[in-house]
Amino acid sequence: MLKTVLCDLLDIKYPIFQGGMAWISDAELASAVSDAGGIGIIAAGNSPAEHVLNEIKKIKKMTDRPFGVNVMLMSRYAHEVAQVAADEKVKIIVTGAGNPAKHMKMWTEYGAKVIPVVPSVALAKLMERCGASAVIAEGGEAGGHVGDITTMALVPQVCDAVKIPVIAAGGIGDGRGIAAALMLGACGVQVGTRFLTAMECVVHENYKNMVLKAKDIDTLFAGKRVGHPIRALKNNFVREYLKKEYDSSVSDEELLKFGEGRFKLAAVDGDIKEGCFLAGQIAGIVNREQSAKEIIEEMFAQAEEILNGAKKFYE
Amino acid sequence: MLEQLTTVLRNYKSDDSLQVAETTTFEELSLDSLDVVQLIMDIEEEFGVTIELDKSMKDVGSLLTVIAAAKS
Repeated sequence: MLKTVLCDLLDIKYPIFQGGMAWISDAELASAVSDAGGIGIIAAGNSPAEHVLNEIKKIKKMTDRPFGVNVMLMSRYAHEVAQVAADEKVKIIVTGAGNPAKHMKMWTEYGAKVIPVVPSVALAKLMERCGASAVIAEGGEAGGHVGDITTMALVPQVCDAVKIPVIAAGGIGDGRGIAAALMLGACGVQVGTRFLTAMECVVHENYKNMVLKAKDIDTLFAGKRVGHPIRALKNNFVREYLKKEYDSSVSDEELLKFGEGRFKLAAVDGDIKEGCFLAGQIAGIVNREQSAKEIIEEMFAQAEEILNGAKKFYE
Repeated sequence: MLEQLTTVLRNYKSDDSLQVAETTTFEELSLDSLDVVQLIMDIEEEFGVTIELDKSMKDVGSLLTVIAAAKS
């Protein structure tokens, strides 16, 4: 059976994190992933701390397996969410969209494992120095807030630069992705897009259908101009946003205002035209709804088969 | 110290004629947040200090203040 240092570090069966997706990754999805042997993550996104607290309390009743909270550092509620996670002694803290250094002490003092998402080697090194237990090296293929560097290029460079475990993210949707990530030096994976169509995922049905229908070329990268680049499925909103992004007569403030509230519009309201449907480039291989357990077991069975068969390449 | 920092910035930007003043902002230097993290690493090596990344750092002047504080 496939086992890595991450399994021992976090007391899990499968070295897989479910990505923290704003307005989507709640206690229901996270508990299903944790029960299946991975790490389910509650996403704070832009939600107030009270909402995050409720989800933490809910998941504690739903599973006795380890779970985590993703603190989105760009959120105006980031500080309160960070405090709530500490008050609830959440054992795994994943951070995204920023530098968590100022919260590190508060989390590590009670023994939390802090695992920041990093889009560059320098940030990975900085996080290691700040006391991170591991890092998630996320390539630009991923959905949501992303950097420029691809997973294939980023993961080995981060692995060379730090001594802590590296988890690969971005573009991983099946066992082939897991096998590749391990070969690049990672000891685990984070997967978001594939879990969007999990049966336990409460995202709007329109969102699931868009992911199920998506092809390889159906995502766009936008938002770099205002310093918050994201990857999302092509639709009316993203196309309009890109037009404005390349229009110098549109100010940054107008652009930011135009993007406000779009994630919720997609995930909760299912507004196909005006919502922002965050998803990664791997959406093209996601073609059916399954339980979180089926997804994880299928992915790892395939990874093991590939890794066991790898000898054929040098015999 | 500005001269030494200018050398680091010139190396980072691969621009030997780059001129900077304390008022030069990261934005004017076309440095995004990931560039700033990388630059901090380069500065730490050059100056032999450890710098806490701070969001309020927006220009060369604030960077010099942080380096001076780290050196003292």
